[in-house]
Amino acid sequence: MRNEGKKKEGNAARFITRNKAVKHLQVGLPLFRKLCILKGIFPREPKRKVEGNEKTYYHQKDINFLFHEPLLAKFRHIRSYKKKIKKARAKKNRELAERLIDRQPTYKLDRLVLERYPSFVDALRDLDDCLTMVHLFAALPAVNSERIQVDRIHNCRRLSHEWQAYISRTHCLRKTFISVKGIYYQAEVEGQKITWLTPHALQQVLTDDVDINIMLTFLEFYEALLGFVNFKLFHSINVKYPPILDPRLEALAADLYALCRYIDVGSRTLSETAQNSNLLEFQQPYNEKKDTRAEESEVRLAQLQYQLPANEPGALMHLMGDAKGADEEDQDTKECKSLFKSFKFFLSREVPRESLLFIIPAFGGVVSWEGDGAPFRETEEDITHQIVDRPSIGHKFLSREYIQPQWVYDCVNNRDILRTDEYLLGRDPPPHLSPFVDNEAEGYIPEYAEEIKRQIAAKKQVLPMPGLGDRDLADPGSLLAEGVIDRAEANEANEQRKKLQMLEKQYHDELNMELQGVTFSAAHSEGSLQTPAGDVDVDEGTGIELDQVDNELTLSKVSMSRSRRGLLTAIEMNKQRKEDKIRLLKERKKRAEFNRSG
Amino acid sequence: MDHEAAESETLPEDNDKSSSPTILNKQHSYTSDAASSDLEGSSGLSRDQGEEEDDSYHSASEESDSSEDEVAPRNTVGDVPLEWYKEEEHIGYDISGKKIKKHARKDKIDSFLAGVDDSRNWRKIFDEYNDEEVELTKEETKLIRRLLKGKTPHAEVDPYAPYVDWFDWEDKGHPLSNAPEPKRRFIPSKWEHRKVVQYIRAIRKGWIKFDKPEEEPRYYLLWGDDSTSAESKRQGLKYIPAPKPKLAGHEESYNPPVEYIPTQEEVNSYQLIYEEDRPKFIPRRYESLRSVPAYENALKEGFDRCLDLYLCPRTMKKRINIDPESLKPRLPSRKDLKPYPSICYLEYKGHAGPVKSISVAISGQWLASGSADGTVRLWEVENARCLKVWEIGEPIKCVAWNPLPELPILAVSAGHDVLLLDTELGDEEEQHRVKELLRADSSTMDDSGIVSWIPHEKYAGIWLKHSKVVTTVDWHRKGDYFTTSRSVLLHQLSKKQTHNPFKKLRGLAVSAIFHPTRSIFFISTKNHVRVYDLLKSKLISKLETGLHEVSSIAIHPGGNNLLVGSKDGKICWFDMDLSSRPYKTLKYVILLEHLVDKNVCRTHPKDITNVAFHRSYPLFASSSEDCTAYVFHGMVYSDLNQNPLIVPLEILRGHASSSSGGVLDSKFHPRQPWLFTAGADSVIKLYCH
Repeated sequence: MRNEGKKKEGNAARFITRNKAVKHLQVGLPLFRKLCILKGIFPREPKRKVEGNEKTYYHQKDINFLFHEPLLAKFRHIRSYKKKIKKARAKKNRELAERLIDRQPTYKLDRLVLERYPSFVDALRDLDDCLTMVHLFAALPAVNSERIQVDRIHNCRRLSHEWQAYISRTHCLRKTFISVKGIYYQAEVEGQKITWLTPHALQQVLTDDVDINIMLTFLEFYEALLGFVNFKLFHSINVKYPPILDPRLEALAADLYALCRYIDVGSRTLSETAQNSNLLEFQQPYNEKKDTRAEESEVRLAQLQYQLPANEPGALMHLMGDAKGADEEDQDTKECKSLFKSFKFFLSREVPRESLLFIIPAFGGVVSWEGDGAPFRETEEDITHQIVDRPSIGHKFLSREYIQPQWVYDCVNNRDILRTDEYLLGRDPPPHLSPFVDNEAEGYIPEYAEEIKRQIAAKKQVLPMPGLGDRDLADPGSLLAEGVIDRAEANEANEQRKKLQMLEKQYHDELNMELQGVTFSAAHSEGSLQTPAGDVDVDEGTGIELDQVDNELTLSKVSMSRSRRGLLTAIEMNKQRKEDKIRLLKERKKRAEFNRSG
Repeated sequence: MDHEAAESETLPEDNDKSSSPTILNKQHSYTSDAASSDLEGSSGLSRDQGEEEDDSYHSASEESDSSEDEVAPRNTVGDVPLEWYKEEEHIGYDISGKKIKKHARKDKIDSFLAGVDDSRNWRKIFDEYNDEEVELTKEETKLIRRLLKGKTPHAEVDPYAPYVDWFDWEDKGHPLSNAPEPKRRFIPSKWEHRKVVQYIRAIRKGWIKFDKPEEEPRYYLLWGDDSTSAESKRQGLKYIPAPKPKLAGHEESYNPPVEYIPTQEEVNSYQLIYEEDRPKFIPRRYESLRSVPAYENALKEGFDRCLDLYLCPRTMKKRINIDPESLKPRLPSRKDLKPYPSICYLEYKGHAGPVKSISVAISGQWLASGSADGTVRLWEVENARCLKVWEIGEPIKCVAWNPLPELPILAVSAGHDVLLLDTELGDEEEQHRVKELLRADSSTMDDSGIVSWIPHEKYAGIWLKHSKVVTTVDWHRKGDYFTTSRSVLLHQLSKKQTHNPFKKLRGLAVSAIFHPTRSIFFISTKNHVRVYDLLKSKLISKLETGLHEVSSIAIHPGGNNLLVGSKDGKICWFDMDLSSRPYKTLKYVILLEHLVDKNVCRTHPKDITNVAFHRSYPLFASSSEDCTAYVFHGMVYSDLNQNPLIVPLEILRGHASSSSGGVLDSKFHPRQPWLFTAGADSVIKLYCH
């Protein structure tokens, strides 16, 4: 590789530009890209860019690593094989062409997966992108012109459902968030926090500003990775993978077993889409719509399978339950497992079913839906919550609460059962807050976050109430503690009272004004005239101190070295930006409140 | 296949009983297949079905054939392209010459609904030429179906009727050739044999396999025990994991709190922001979960992430949380460095224009100031009383006291002139000596002819007429010589002589000063400071300031340290024993808020106008155009190994800003740690400790 007289060490020898690397490997750029993606090789930043700043540099060792990759030879083999087929076709040798097509060389990525992620935890650590991509493709339409094939989409769906089944069964889902981009989930598997995004269950838009080939290459690797991860996870809870879940089927002959596998891939999507909405049914090809006996039973089987990991206490669940002993579970899992334990949910037709079918069982709830194959009907008496997402509903059962889907997500994020009155049918739900934001670190706490905190705190205080009297007398320590709580409570109450008084006073003032005949707008303009003056006073009072602080700052800056000064300025600017953002939020909040009241 | 079989059974019945709806639907599916010109698919129908149809059709087809031909087309436009009538309201003309109006087109939903409502709808075909809907009869559909299958349209036509030879000829009973059959027709083919041998060999050797290869399970337990640490090491270079994508904040919620939603004006104002800084995501609120649409950038963002993963160079960067306090240099506390001027004690008011220059007499009792209004004033330092006013008539550039206490002479530069004024201070003997000294002949011209020494008409003193503008004046420590610049000249008071030793000076001199103890002379041009030995009359060293434009220089009373102020807000401290480069550069830092809050809006807010050393205290000061004067502690140690210590002490504010600059001059009191500053607001201030 290295020419005579070239440098032997340093950046010039250690790093190689992309073009040179491609030339060195004797491959085309698309193949080079593919290799890099599969092998997980990325450009590295040399300290000094010898051949120019605008170029991409790869490490020489990385390129050598690619050079010795067996996959490279395999790709070459495939290419020459394709040429053979082409040649046979051109010579009208159909027989040969067909024979060649029948035994095309394929490649596997298992070795690469192991090479990139030598331990399972490594793989889990890097699973975020993989899951997001697989979930995205599971929602894409199959487009032949873009080379998005149906079976790959189905494979993605299958893999994502398997992953979700595992997460749901082992109760390791932690956070969820409905954003405009889709629904975020965060799970904790073997101590690794894994966050992924699933798009909303709607027809996704295919735009032409993406190079789908690159995405498909990524997907190829991710499919392999997720498959192996799922295998390992299912293995860890003693479930056979790929999942064939009906024990009756397992006992029967092998051909049924094969059929079952076929159904697993083929008709799961069918059954789901058929249930999902009536609209979708029109899009289905006609031949699928014909429901002969045989197919109906197949569908039933598929549904059975699908329910098994989700909500029926089938064989799988028992197996899993055995595998996961109570002592193994940590505090978090226990908490998650029992969140919806005593509830029974029913999903209306219009709510996002896939998401809720995933979440509610993950937190210990029982769920059913409107449609075929549901475990129980809407008319069931002991349903506690019905999740609806429409302005009104015809017939209401008095025994259950009709709530909007956001309630489930908010409960999950706060790990507590929130009050349902704000989420009831037909109301504007309270703001949906992201669980990924550390409000304290951000410096701004939204109103609703505080309210939730208060709710939870109130609940916790109420709970130990009954036994209070005896304990109080029993030991003074608890009395003291009680006192502390009491004081805090009293403070809060005091504040409340003050606020109330303020409001009352304001109200009275306004009444007086009205009596005197001052118009509302005039009063406000007066008020606004008064307040700025007050503000200015305050500003001047603090102005002098500020000046002193500034003075010291400038003085210390004067004698700093340039780099340090730059660093300090950057820190200050960052701080300033953050403060500006918070100020803007507060301003908007104030304005919104003003609009609401005025 | 079993559906199709069922189909073929039902079809013959179709003819007899006219259409139960389910059967029709099935027909529909076939014709729609056929209509999409998928000939292969339709020919996949079992052949016997076609036969059966044939039989059942003999009777019905005759009627349909005749009836169709009789109907003449309604439209009479002839064989012209229909797009000629695309823009028109009519489609053509009927037989009586009237326009045929176009009907309103059905949209897709209507046609779909019609298809659902009417089971016979699939037979309706839109005739574009006549702009009407035609319903096909059952016979016509059969006709079409036969055509699509590639059969003859009518079932009764037999395309394979036995050939009838209409003509007779001689050798009618004989074959075409009478040659005998060749031998090769009777022996096995050699080529075929060879081919068979090839195949046999290929099969034996396993080149051709007939059974499909066994499918291995796609997934297996890839990671066994993680306990084997040697194997679970990654090959190759150190892996740098890609940074995880940023998690969604409150603003990305489908139902964010109100304060996260920007108003319409704010959204509009985003258009003004530079495209890369523009927020990519604009939060908005959806009333309910069902109204949230698919995210249009989902694929794009996934793709961008892919690009990031395989195209972005990765480096490990250490991120440390730096406490901003730790960045500040550790300096001795300012309390220990007292005394230094910090509070404004006195104000000297009286000038009508910006005070350009001030000078304190060596006794510390008198202060002279020159202003742009053309007056020089003499103040008593302690009570701010204006003792004397000289009206020169031209804006004053510089004033300087003679350093000898017994010679109270003031050098004033104004325009092209330098005036040596007798201040009439001191006792009689001193007065006498001064008068003696300042007596000049009517016009003693210098040899070089640059400067003429003329007695002043109005006041007692000498008038030095220069040919070029004079900006600064500096006295030698012995009080006999003084120097003026722009064109650097040395004047001798006792002999009334002027020398011009620096004729070939490169660059324009900004100022020139004498060394406080030795016969060394400093000239600063815009970028450099040159140091000359006056006795040997040669260049000792050249100091490189690295500044943009030097505005002033000052020398430490010790003589080894030099201070240079510049117009880009920097002060350089030169230790001349150390090197010819600055030992330390201090930069004026203007806080942005300051500029905004206090409306200090000027083109060069940071220009340093003057720098000054204290004669005895380790203090130095700089004044700048942003109406501030900075006071520094500048300790020079006698130990040569110890570097000078520089500590910023105080920012003196107080001068009002005006259009002609902030603080124009600053000078220390010769004995006390007091600082005088001259402002462009025509006030002189005294800061005390």
